[in-house]
Amino acid sequence: MKPLNNTVLLVLGSAWAILTASGQETPISLETAKQLGRVKSSFLKETKEVERPPGIMPKANVAFFQKSVGPILKKNCLACHGPEKSKGRLRIDQLNPDLVTGPDVERWREVFNALSKSEMPPKDEPDYALADADRGRVVDWLSGELNTASLIRRNSGQHSSFRRLTNYEYNYALQDLLGLPYALANKLPPETASDDGFKNSSELLQMSSMQFETYREIGLKALKRATVIGDRPPAVTYSISMQEEMDKAASGKEAKTSGKKMNTKKARNQQQLFNRETGESMPFPAGKSMPRAEAVAGQNPAVSPVVLVLPRASELKLDLDRFLPDEGTMRVRIRAGRSTMKPDEYASLRLIFSAHTSNNAEFSQVVSEHDIPVTASADNPEFIYFDIPLGDIQRNPFRKLTTTFPRRDEFLHILNVSNATGGEEPLQILIDHIEIVAPFYEQWPPKTHTVIFIASSHKGDEQTYGREVLNRFLKRVWRRPITALEINQFMALFAKYRPEFPTFEEAMVEVLATALATPEFLYLTQRVEASEPKGFLASLRSFLHLTPGLKANETKSPARISELEFASRLSVFLWSSIPDDELLKLAEQGKLRKPEVLTAQINRVLADPRSQRFPRHFVEQWLGLDRMNSVTHVTDSALREAMQKEPVAFFDEVLRHNRSIMDFLHSDYAVVNERLATHYRIPKVYGPQFRKVSIAPQANRGGLLTGAAIMTMNSDGKDSHPLKRGVWMLKRILDDPPPPPPPNVPEVDLTNPEILKMTLKERITDHRNKPACLSCHSRIDPWGIAFENYDALGVFRTSIKNQPVDATAELFNRQTLAGVDGLKRYLLTDRQDQFARAMVHKLTAYALGRPLSFTDRADIDSLTAQFRRRGDGLGDLINLIVSSNIFNSK
Amino acid sequence: MKHPMSDKSVTLSRRAFLRGAGVALALPWFETFAAGGLSKDETPKRFVSIYHPDGVGLPLKSDPAWNDWSWFPRGGEKDFEFTKVLDVLEPLRSDVTIYSGLSHPAARNVHGHSNADQYLTGAPIGGHGPYQNSISLDQAYAEHAGGFTRHSSLVMSTNGGAGGPRGAQTQSFNREGRPIPAMNKPKQIFDLLFVTSGRDAAERLARSKSALDLLIDNTRSLGRQLSKHDQQTLQQYLDAVRDTELKLAKAQKWIDAPIPKVDTRNLHLDAEPKEARLYFQTMYELIYLAFLSDSTRVATFQLGRENGEGPHDLLSLAVGLGGAHGLTHEVKKPGGWQNLGTYNRYQAEEFGRFAQKLKHTPEPNGKGNMLDNTFAMHGSASSSFHLSRNYPIISAGGKNLGFTNGRYLKFGKGNEDNQAGAGIATDAGWNSKMEVEELPLAKLFVTILQRLGVERDSFGGHTGTLTRV
Repeated sequence: MKPLNNTVLLVLGSAWAILTASGQETPISLETAKQLGRVKSSFLKETKEVERPPGIMPKANVAFFQKSVGPILKKNCLACHGPEKSKGRLRIDQLNPDLVTGPDVERWREVFNALSKSEMPPKDEPDYALADADRGRVVDWLSGELNTASLIRRNSGQHSSFRRLTNYEYNYALQDLLGLPYALANKLPPETASDDGFKNSSELLQMSSMQFETYREIGLKALKRATVIGDRPPAVTYSISMQEEMDKAASGKEAKTSGKKMNTKKARNQQQLFNRETGESMPFPAGKSMPRAEAVAGQNPAVSPVVLVLPRASELKLDLDRFLPDEGTMRVRIRAGRSTMKPDEYASLRLIFSAHTSNNAEFSQVVSEHDIPVTASADNPEFIYFDIPLGDIQRNPFRKLTTTFPRRDEFLHILNVSNATGGEEPLQILIDHIEIVAPFYEQWPPKTHTVIFIASSHKGDEQTYGREVLNRFLKRVWRRPITALEINQFMALFAKYRPEFPTFEEAMVEVLATALATPEFLYLTQRVEASEPKGFLASLRSFLHLTPGLKANETKSPARISELEFASRLSVFLWSSIPDDELLKLAEQGKLRKPEVLTAQINRVLADPRSQRFPRHFVEQWLGLDRMNSVTHVTDSALREAMQKEPVAFFDEVLRHNRSIMDFLHSDYAVVNERLATHYRIPKVYGPQFRKVSIAPQANRGGLLTGAAIMTMNSDGKDSHPLKRGVWMLKRILDDPPPPPPPNVPEVDLTNPEILKMTLKERITDHRNKPACLSCHSRIDPWGIAFENYDALGVFRTSIKNQPVDATAELFNRQTLAGVDGLKRYLLTDRQDQFARAMVHKLTAYALGRPLSFTDRADIDSLTAQFRRRGDGLGDLINLIVSSNIFNSK
Repeated sequence: MKHPMSDKSVTLSRRAFLRGAGVALALPWFETFAAGGLSKDETPKRFVSIYHPDGVGLPLKSDPAWNDWSWFPRGGEKDFEFTKVLDVLEPLRSDVTIYSGLSHPAARNVHGHSNADQYLTGAPIGGHGPYQNSISLDQAYAEHAGGFTRHSSLVMSTNGGAGGPRGAQTQSFNREGRPIPAMNKPKQIFDLLFVTSGRDAAERLARSKSALDLLIDNTRSLGRQLSKHDQQTLQQYLDAVRDTELKLAKAQKWIDAPIPKVDTRNLHLDAEPKEARLYFQTMYELIYLAFLSDSTRVATFQLGRENGEGPHDLLSLAVGLGGAHGLTHEVKKPGGWQNLGTYNRYQAEEFGRFAQKLKHTPEPNGKGNMLDNTFAMHGSASSSFHLSRNYPIISAGGKNLGFTNGRYLKFGKGNEDNQAGAGIATDAGWNSKMEVEELPLAKLFVTILQRLGVERDSFGGHTGTLTRV
């Protein structure tokens, strides 16, 4: 920011509009609001925190309360929160001013929140208005006392980060450990989210015998899948050459059409076999494809002029009969090119698997995990491939019948998913060769096998080799070095199992499966000192500055987790999985926490594809995107998917470029794909991938708040739902969840015709004006009403039932929010600190896998201050959290 | 149907048992006999509980919707008249009983969003703070009858898993008060019940035993390195391993008994909650098949969790209505009582279909029809909006256990017309003072347990049975 601007902005203070030369008020731009608001941050001011010398015990400052704070509260608050009336069930005169030892910390925190946001005293009580200086005095005192109390009460043992992995983390851990790319953990009992939306919250991650047994079952099955026994099994190979198909059809009775005849515009955009040299064409012949005994997989035959033309939304349906094996990977290789190379258009392939067993009994399912784009030109087609786990997909249950009915065949559909528009030269996918192999192995034995059954000169000696295998495997499973004693335990089990199995490997797989059910794999541990090297105890003692006269556990800073545990915490945070060998090695050497090493490692971890799991799971839980799954009014599945992905893609963009988190509130860009851009009426975005595009203010987008998913899930299925949106804003964005509704609140009676006539906003106002509802709703509703310009699908609108949209609302502190623009302007100008702190809070709770409590307050404040001083970059925040005291503590 | 236990594997034959009953009973008979069932002639006694969240519609008498859409019947014990909500049960009139005036005293001031956890336990879990539940009715019976069958109980729900404290997604809690995760996928339930575990099952069991020993050792040594607090968390894991040991011991006894074969033609094992009708019927069918094959005698099924958006919210699609939970909030909208009533009616209809099916099936190894030997309970821990009182409970069957049906049993005092808390659609009620008298639901539980053959005179701290039942 330029210094001049700075001064101007400072002078402006909380001004909302700049007076232009003509004297007309124009609201400041949102980007200016961002700068303006940042300058106002209290975290950027000279720090009030003074590092306390060790050994000095902070005390409650009750004297200042009695002298200064008490009288202010008495004068301005007691009338409504005293013996006469006790609104909100608060008696300010009965709160114990000693926050350090007294019982009323939580109530004081509420008082602090209401005062610091100027929500109290109410603006319509001018007799009790609080002078700024007085407000400052109370807020400063409270903030200091809350901080002190949080430091002293820290580590009261209320919440712990010791927890089991969530189902999704367990799945990734197993995938990464074994190198299996498939979903492995679907059988685990479903989990639930905490109040603030997090699924990795220690309290919720319970264990039961069903959970435990399912772990055992999954572990063994996954190991059996990763390892192999004996010789390479023969593969079934289908090789479909379009040239051959055409030759075959030409020699048979199938109708052959001359190129001339088919060369109409309509015909050209039909699925057909086509000779690019002669112009000859004909339909793809009906009938079964049969595996060929002589076929050699993985070949790259010469490119043929005869291709299958696959227009947009068209699918080639191959009847594979009943020869596919039950288990193993099916690799589908397709050599394809594009008929035209227009950059605005894309074409991709999707695989569908189906069977039609009898009338009214059929199924079909998409089996490819992602659509794969076809990017090569028709002249230089390239192979793309899909790997499909045959054991996981829905198969034709009748395929092994010896009779022919119900039908036994299985079908593979190759579908062109594209945004092509037709015209003179429509974009089509041209395929000249297809190969299907199952079971497919890249190499034999596969890599998943050889990372477990490692190469060794001791392979002939089961005792020695067994120990080698176990040592390597257990180290990765337990994320730490293994002792000989521990290996003994497992070798003893191996000895028991060995006679039951013909091979070493089969018996060992059973032993390894047991390791996958140990708590050290399933849980994130944080050991007490016992397991640390001896020198650690001494350093721990010096780390705890104990004060005579106080019990040790009341004053000590929480102990640090070990470096190996830190490596696990880091990888679970950013990969939702176990650490890799590099992290483990550094941790074992005691180097991981060195600042320069750590920074490099965080960068490496974030550059790894595994880090895509972090935006996905954090954002889904933070924003509560699960709720999109029970929304019934989005009927277009591509739109639904795009809606759900947008916030994740947006977060990813901000993370990867270390952009300011204020971009979540507003940005002059959107992160969209073609489907969503159409929904948002943003022109010229092509293709299914998400990317950052600049948008004008008139687009009425930017940031996360107006995302279609957010608007859609906070609607009632037909129209917007201001209350849901308001609650969502407070809970998810501002970390200021509204209290549950009090008893004895009258309901809006919609059977009353007078009320039914009102607009939604009038209804809300009517309800809100009832005294019992006022205090809560005036806190919630305005945050939702400001979004009235967005309908139940998040589409921007300016009128509702021919009435202009009224999206203006007034906050409890009399602040007017004029639509989303006004809401954003207010947040950016006056609430940046609150949002930054909320963001730090949410990310830290997620990183630790436990709910934060009052005792974490000082840590969160200090993190927020460092973060704001660094410039609000999301990437910086990740670094700060990982290096923070709280992330390194038990 | 053939008994699942083959004669060869029974160490002591039925005849031998009868001859020396006095002696045999003094022995730890449970160990030797449990696996095989008590006898071939003894008619099984079954218990099943269906739970639905969100309560029922309870309009005020002055409301035009009262006559048709109030959940509770009109009239007296014998001459009662169903409203439109329960009229689907009319064909089963002589086989069902409707209860009013019952609730758990410890839950009467708990918000309706948090009360599903205590419906079958009655535990004082409160509305916030530390959480401790206690054993549920079904598990109390399973401790008694679980040994007779391959599976001691079947625990199901639409959402599956355990849920969170005060947000249960299961109705069943074990002796320690820990939730037993529910199964929600028909395929998974079917496989558990009816798919053979393979020929090498015995070897696998033996291997499991050694593996569990290692795991317990390993867990103990980890525990020694953890803080007190974390040790408690790890204790859950140890308990899970121990429970698994017990299950293994049990499975060992059933190893030679053939898995029952069932007709799968009409089962839609891939049904999901969004295909509400199909899903409901499939889940009920699985309970029916489990009972028919005597795979278990105890089942619970929770239709959705309280206060949550999730798959169960789509169940009301079966009757063309949007979010199930929303229906309870919208009773004051035009047609609101009718919509909620229509959904409750649908739940009763499916329950009725299930009961009807049991009624039409003669008891495979005993007297009467299956319904007469089954106490089937259907209910919720809320009546009116978020109000944890006057639970709307229906029971069906149990004639051979001593239940006399065809009645509307009103308990308590001062609320004979179910108007306490009626007509609200807000949180006005749940925390209000109790103005009428209700009886503890646990007394009904004691009655049920006694008639199922469990010698017990109290449940959840409440002693005594319910008269008139």
